[in-house]
This record gives sequence, C-alpha cells and structure tokens, in this order.
Amino acid sequence: MNKIYTSLILVFTLIVVWTIYLTNVENDTNSLTVRYYTIEELSTKEASITKVKVGGLIKPDSIIINDTDQLEVSFYVYQGSDSLKVYYYGIRPDLFKDNAEVVVAGAFDDNLIIATELQTKCASRYEGDLKNIEKI
Amino acid sequence: MISQIGSLALSISGGLILSNFFFLFYYAIKKDKTFLNVSERGLIAVCFCVILATLCLLNELLISNFNLQYVSQYTSYETPLFFKVTALWAGQAGSLLFWTFIMSIYSLIYIHVTLKKMPILKYSSYIILSFIFGFFLLLSNFIANPFQPVSSDIIVQNGNGLNPLLQNVTMAIHPPTLYLGFIGTTILFVMALSGLISKSLNFEWIQSIRRWSLIVWTFLSGGIILGGYWAYNELGWGGYWAWDPVENSSLMPWLILTAFIHSSMIQEKRGMLKSWNILLAASTFLLVILGTFITRSGIVSSVHSFTAENLGPLFLAFLSSLILFTGYWFVKRFDTLKSDNKIDSFTSREGGFLYNNLILLLMCFIVLWGTLFPILSEAWNGEKIYVGATYFNQLNVPIGLVLLFLMGVGPLLSWKTTSRHTLLSNFKIPMLMSFFSGVIYSIFFGPFQLYPLVTCMGIAFTITSIMNEFRKSYKKSKSNSKSIPSAIVSMLFSNRHKNGGYIVHIGITLLFVGFIGRAFEVEKEFNLSPGEEIYFANYIFKLNSIKSEARDNHYAFISDIDVIDQSNNLLTSLRPEKRIYFYWNPDPEQRQPHSELDIYSTMRKDIYSIFSAYDAEKNQGYFKIMINPLVNWVWVGGIVMVLGSLFSFWPSKRRNHGII
Repeated sequence: MNKIYTSLILVFTLIVVWTIYLTNVENDTNSLTVRYYTIEELSTKEASITKVKVGGLIKPDSIIINDTDQLEVSFYVYQGSDSLKVYYYGIRPDLFKDNAEVVVAGAFDDNLIIATELQTKCASRYEGDLKNIEKI
Repeated sequence: MISQIGSLALSISGGLILSNFFFLFYYAIKKDKTFLNVSERGLIAVCFCVILATLCLLNELLISNFNLQYVSQYTSYETPLFFKVTALWAGQAGSLLFWTFIMSIYSLIYIHVTLKKMPILKYSSYIILSFIFGFFLLLSNFIANPFQPVSSDIIVQNGNGLNPLLQNVTMAIHPPTLYLGFIGTTILFVMALSGLISKSLNFEWIQSIRRWSLIVWTFLSGGIILGGYWAYNELGWGGYWAWDPVENSSLMPWLILTAFIHSSMIQEKRGMLKSWNILLAASTFLLVILGTFITRSGIVSSVHSFTAENLGPLFLAFLSSLILFTGYWFVKRFDTLKSDNKIDSFTSREGGFLYNNLILLLMCFIVLWGTLFPILSEAWNGEKIYVGATYFNQLNVPIGLVLLFLMGVGPLLSWKTTSRHTLLSNFKIPMLMSFFSGVIYSIFFGPFQLYPLVTCMGIAFTITSIMNEFRKSYKKSKSNSKSIPSAIVSMLFSNRHKNGGYIVHIGITLLFVGFIGRAFEVEKEFNLSPGEEIYFANYIFKLNSIKSEARDNHYAFISDIDVIDQSNNLLTSLRPEKRIYFYWNPDPEQRQPHSELDIYSTMRKDIYSIFSAYDAEKNQGYFKIMINPLVNWVWVGGIVMVLGSLFSFWPSKRRNHGII
C-alpha cells in the first residue's frame, strides 16, 4: 500500500472514531446529544433530567397564554392516554394550536418540561383528510 | 377524461417496463440486436408516457378538477394560477410523478446523446434504467397514484389550497432545481455501473461522465442554495441552514459529487483511482435514495417529512437492492480497475485532490452519522438520541476550514510532484496575504474569536492563490491580444474547464464570508404598542402603527416599524405582517396564521423582523428582531458558484466534437 493512501486512511479512521466517540458520551454530560423520550416514559419518571426531547400532540383547550406577556405559554402534550405539562417562553411557531404535532426540547423537572425549543410539524390541513367536503 | 388518459399513460408505461425486461433477457440469450433496439424504443416510449401523464396531471390542476384527490388536497379555486402549477410537486403522489418526469427527460438525453456515442453501454444501461423506472412507476401506479379519484359518495366543493408557506416564488423554483440535481445522479449511477459492467471505463467514458457530473452538480448546488434562501426569507427563524435531516440528505450527495468531480480529474489526467471514482459516482445516487428514504419514511423527525403514506420500507428495499447490485459488480470487475500510474508525492496536484476527497468524505460521514444517529442509537440500546446543530458545527466547521485553505493550496501544486523551490515561491504571496488579513481583522474587528479569524485568513489565502493563477494565464494571453479586456476574455476562455473551476472556488470562498457572519448574530424578542420604541444593537426600533386589511386570500395585520440609526437618521421602515389564511373559515382550527417577514438587507448586515403575535385588546404587537451580518454574501457566493460551473461545462463551438 502506498504511503500517501495509508496516511489518508489513518486520518479518516481517526476522525471517524473520534466522531463516534463524541456522540456516545453519556447523555447527561454530552452537549452534543439529546435523548428522545416518549411521553409515557417521562410521565413515570421521578428524577429530573437536564435534557429531553419529546414529541406529541397539543391537548385541546390546554394552551394557556399569559395575559400580560403573550410570549409566555403553558400547555399539555399528549400521546395516547399520557400527557405532560410544558412551559415555554418565546415566539411560537405559526402552526402552534390545539392538536398540532409538536416537538419540544428542554429540561424535565417535577413532571414539567421547561422547553427551550418548540417546533411544530406541517399542518394536518395539507396532508390529512379532506375536511371541507360535503357528503351527498 | 384527461385524467383517465394520464392514468392510462402511467399504466402503459408500467407495462412497457415489464416487457422491456423480457426483451433485454432475450437479447442476452440470443444476442440479436433487434431485441436491444426494441427495448430502447420501449424505454423511450415509457419516457413519453410519463411526460404525457405529467402534463395530464398539470392540466387537471389548472382546471381545478376536484374529483381527483390530489388536486383537491393541494389546490383550491383561490389558489393563484402560478401556484396551481407548483402544486404538481407539493405533495407525495405528485412529487413522485414529477420525479419520474425529470428522470424521463434525462433518460431521453442520455439515450440520444451519450449512448449514441458509446453504444457499448446500451445493454447494461437499459437494464439499470428499466429497474429504476420500474420502481418509481410501481409507486406511482399502485402506492401513490396522483390520479386517484376522491371516494364516489362525496363531492368536493372546493379544494384545500396550497400551504401559504409554499406560495412563494423561491419555493416554486427550489424543488424543481433540487430535483434536477437529485435525479441527475441517476444518470451518473447508470453510467458508472454500465461502464463497469461492460468494461469500458476509457477516456471517452470519463470525459462524458465528468460532463454529466458538472451538470448535476450545478443543479444540486443551485437547489441547495435556493432552499436556504427560501428558508431564510420565508420560515422566520433567521437562518438558512438548520442541519435538518432533509437538508442533510441534499448535502450528502453534494459532498460526494464534489469529491467525484475532483478525483475523476486524476483519472482523466493520469488514469488512476478508477475503482474509487466508480464508488463515488454510484454513491451519489445511493445517497439520494437514502435521503429520499429518510424524508418519506418519517423515521427521523423532520419538519419537511411527508406523512401521508409510508414509503419507507419500499425505498429501503430499493436502496438495498441497488447497493447489492453495485457491490456485486464492483467485486466482480475489480481486476479491471487497476491504476495506470502511482501517486508519488504528498506535494502533488494528485495529492491535493486526495486531501480534498478525504475532507469531503469526512464531512459526509459526519453528516450521515448525525442524521442516522437517532435510528442507530435506538437499534443499539433502545434509546433514541438526537444530535443537534452543535454536533454538526463543532465537527464540520474546523474540517470545512481545512477545505477552505485547501482550495488555495491546490492550484499551487504541480502534477506528479512539486519541487521544494516552486513550493516556497508559490506559497509566499498567499501566506503573506493571509497573515496580513489576519492582522487587519484582529485590529479592526475585535474581540478575538478563533473561527472568524481563521476563516478570514483562509479566504485571503485562497483568493490570492486563485488570482495568482489568473494572473499567470493572463500574462500568457496578453502577448497574443492587443487590449486588456480582450486579453482577459481570451484568458478566461482559453481553458474554460479550469477557469470555471476557479470561479466556483471563488464562489465558495464568498460563501465562507457569509458563514463568518453567523458568529456575530444577535436577536431580541419584545412587545410594543404603536408609538413605543425600543433600543437594540445600536438601533432604535419605533412602532408607528399596526393596520389591518382583508386581501384576496388572507387577512393581514401590518406593522410599521421605523429603524433609526445612531446618528438619528431614519435607516428604513420595516413592515412585517401577521397574516391569517382561510380567515373566512368558520372553524378556527382551519384558519392558518402566517408571519410574513420583512428584511432590510445590505452586504454588511440584514435587519430581520418578524411580527409574531398581535394582542387586539391591548393593541400590542410581539416582534422578533435579528441582526444577521454578511448573509447576502452567501447568496452572492451561491450565484458565482453556479455561474462558474455553467461556464466550465457550457458547450462551445470548439467543443462540439466532444462528448456529453
């Protein structure tokens, strides 16, 4: 094997191993990764977790927006029969509303997610059933 | 009626593909050219059927035939004509047909231009093309048929309409451009594999596949940049790249294709790296299919993913069969892939291209690993773990910086080996320029931040090195021509391939100028009532008024914010809007709010404003302002990149005898 190829392969391997190592450091101390939990998993957890990512639907009528500061909001996300309370401060995506699919990331403490990230998925309106159709 | 024709055309093309396999099989046994010719006609007929079907769907969209599920889902009577056309690729079924449509056009060109010149590739090309067409036609006929009627017991009064986020001119050209790039990789795959199978990886082949790869690269780059431009101007989070799985899926083939474009030059010039190039060309397409799998399976959560039908398993099966096919022939033909030459020196042009390949491959691995990590970690121990933007930036930024310097190093190296003397004299000026720009940057643009400083030095290094190359060839051409402009033109046109490449590199360094800006972004969220003002980032933002207005297809709250700079001059007035689409709908669930941004944009910085919420009781607006420096350089860099690439492959008279 040529010297130049050997050294290139060596460098490649080293960085690949380094990358794999970085992503495999334990979740709690790793600034690069965040673990995804299901709502069911979290609703039975007692201990607080510094970084979580959770996906679910917004429980209808659970959105409470602070009157004096509209950037402050709390709501419940649900999946099946499990639900969790989420607190968020900041600008909300346009598609944020009842039954919207959201992904939140933040800290989990005392059955509450203090979210620093709030994302909505595409509105069901464009992908799902036809709603404004009339039956004969 | 028209929709029946479209549906029929799709079925016929499916049938034709099936019969094509029989013809090809007979050709393999009987070696009778007639069968090969019949399968060629068959393939051409398939292409025309697909084009016909696409035109039929387009027609149905334009006349608002809501009897078709697809038409009623993505358009309404209110949808403007232009966006009725773009609805063609707005949803799953339509975009799959559109995919096959573009593939048909590429295939027709490939059959009529490339295969005419290299008939030896015909047989294996037709097999592979038929297989790929077969897969997509299977999807369009049985899984996601765009001509699916709505169920018979209902009448659709009006369709759903197109997502307001997609009602945007950039969004109209971004997907087709990206698709032209994505689907163009099919031809690279077909060419690589058929060249391998028919053992004809000769000079003609490499020139032709290089030409194709440049075309594909141009579309892919343009598509990615347009996507970023759309996200920045429409989505309202103030950035153009979020390391979303879908974005990553377009970046990975781009990185590998870029690697191929460089390493295939070594094959063209010195007959080396044949096996490597085959792998790169094939992987580009495989990565496109992998990306499509990621997007359409919903396996990784992404804002872009389609959710309607799950095509994941089918794409996975398709991808696996392609990988097996590639692997099988690669191993079987490995002995024909020997190099004609050896790489002798670390400081040679070949070496430079290899370093480039190393870097691009590493970046691709990092992106791939990060994108698939949730799936891999879940398979490993049941914990689904995501990696964020920090991961991608932390690993890719330093590697990207090496690439930036490498773009400057490449031209300074000679083929085979560079003598120590040439090396020193070539590196002297770029090194000095790089050093000075670092010093100037540190003095005028403190406080110290490592990455912006190194990027600045890298830009100076690379630009100097490229300019030096231009200067050298200018000197040569000057002796032949009289005036300076004609000397410059003849210099540029003397070696379009090479000079086009340098222009692309200049474009990429301009992109890096834009990337520097990311280190200096600031933002603020606040609320204001008309008449109030706020001080932020050396500007005063004064809200004059919030007006409301009913428009054609939405209701808008329009703010009017004066931006006043330090010397008390009115810099601009920003008018971000809060819009409600479908506001006439009695069901509030069905109304669709949308924030229309307003951006004050200069080459130095953008002032980016979002009107995020309106409190009617208090007459108060909630706003977000971001100061994003240097963003425009990204778009300028993108344009230069695409132009450079066009310049390098655009056919010229002199080249007419060449091959595509």
